[in-house]
Amino acid sequence: MIKLCINLFLQFFNIGVFSFGGGYATLPFLYDLAEKFHWYTTKQLTDMLAVASITPGPVGVNVATYAGFTTSGVLGALIATTAVILPSFIIITIVSKILDKFKTNKMVQGAIHALKPAGCALLSAVGIKLLFTSNLHLIGLILAGVFIGSSFVKKQDPLFYLGVSALIGLVLGHFNLIGV
Amino acid sequence: MLLGGGYVILPILTSELVEKKKWITSDELVEFYTISSSLPGIIAANTAIFTGRKLLGTKGAVAAILGMILPAFLAIILLASILNEITGYRSIQHIFWGVGVGVITLLFLAVKEMWAKAICDKFTAIVYIVSLLLALTHKIPLAIIIICAIVAGILNQLWLDRREIND
Repeated sequence: MIKLCINLFLQFFNIGVFSFGGGYATLPFLYDLAEKFHWYTTKQLTDMLAVASITPGPVGVNVATYAGFTTSGVLGALIATTAVILPSFIIITIVSKILDKFKTNKMVQGAIHALKPAGCALLSAVGIKLLFTSNLHLIGLILAGVFIGSSFVKKQDPLFYLGVSALIGLVLGHFNLIGV
Repeated sequence: MLLGGGYVILPILTSELVEKKKWITSDELVEFYTISSSLPGIIAANTAIFTGRKLLGTKGAVAAILGMILPAFLAIILLASILNEITGYRSIQHIFWGVGVGVITLLFLAVKEMWAKAICDKFTAIVYIVSLLLALTHKIPLAIIIICAIVAGILNQLWLDRREIND
């Protein structure tokens, strides 16, 4: 139990240190954990992500809470949530003391310049893997394609996409069109 | 209370922290937010920590972060406890299938948004392609890819500086 808690802390601390680019940047690491430790399955993680998106608060923190909870209850949730935020805390404490130097330092800017595409690439890799591994079927792929295409015209609220797709899932499932 | 994650937070923060409470100026908020998005971790949480620190030091930072995540923490635990029971129903399974499609949509929209901010020249395009290929092979720890990107970014900067001096 103690071993599990320590590992939980270390894994989520690691996520807090290395995820660049906002809440969704934690996802590649979370999917990685699913395969490495079997604390939860990738299917569970996708469900979790859905729940986290309709719960108030940053998605990245919510998924950490959820993952910790499914692994070892409330204690796990506390540990994972703390661990994922702690690096931010430490880093910001340091950065806010040297804020002006940090903003103008060329090496820092150079590193950030490369971190952005790297963070984007890790998330893209998760997206590509999910397209092949989750049971979307052709109909789900088309639906996602339509959503993404339409976002170029007008981007809707995240809740819109979740709500509409939930409704479509309910209807399609009723007519046995999605094999769930 | 914010739904939908990091990217919707800036307008809400502006109206709450800048206009109503007048804790920070909108310039400060934009600065905190911009720096937060270039630091590791969750942008919304980072911004909260910055704002809390500015007002009350470490105590303020702790208070800000607790205020931000506590409601969500309780909501998630509540939902998590009932989720396994309700996913037994067929209709709920169908809804989750649909929501799965929605989640993949949101994921690709996040990629699109990050892409617009990240890929701006040949160097960033190369970093993107190499990182993507490395991540897809599934052999290299993701942290290593991030560290390599940091090193590549610094080397690129050094090279640019040298070229500038030579010119």
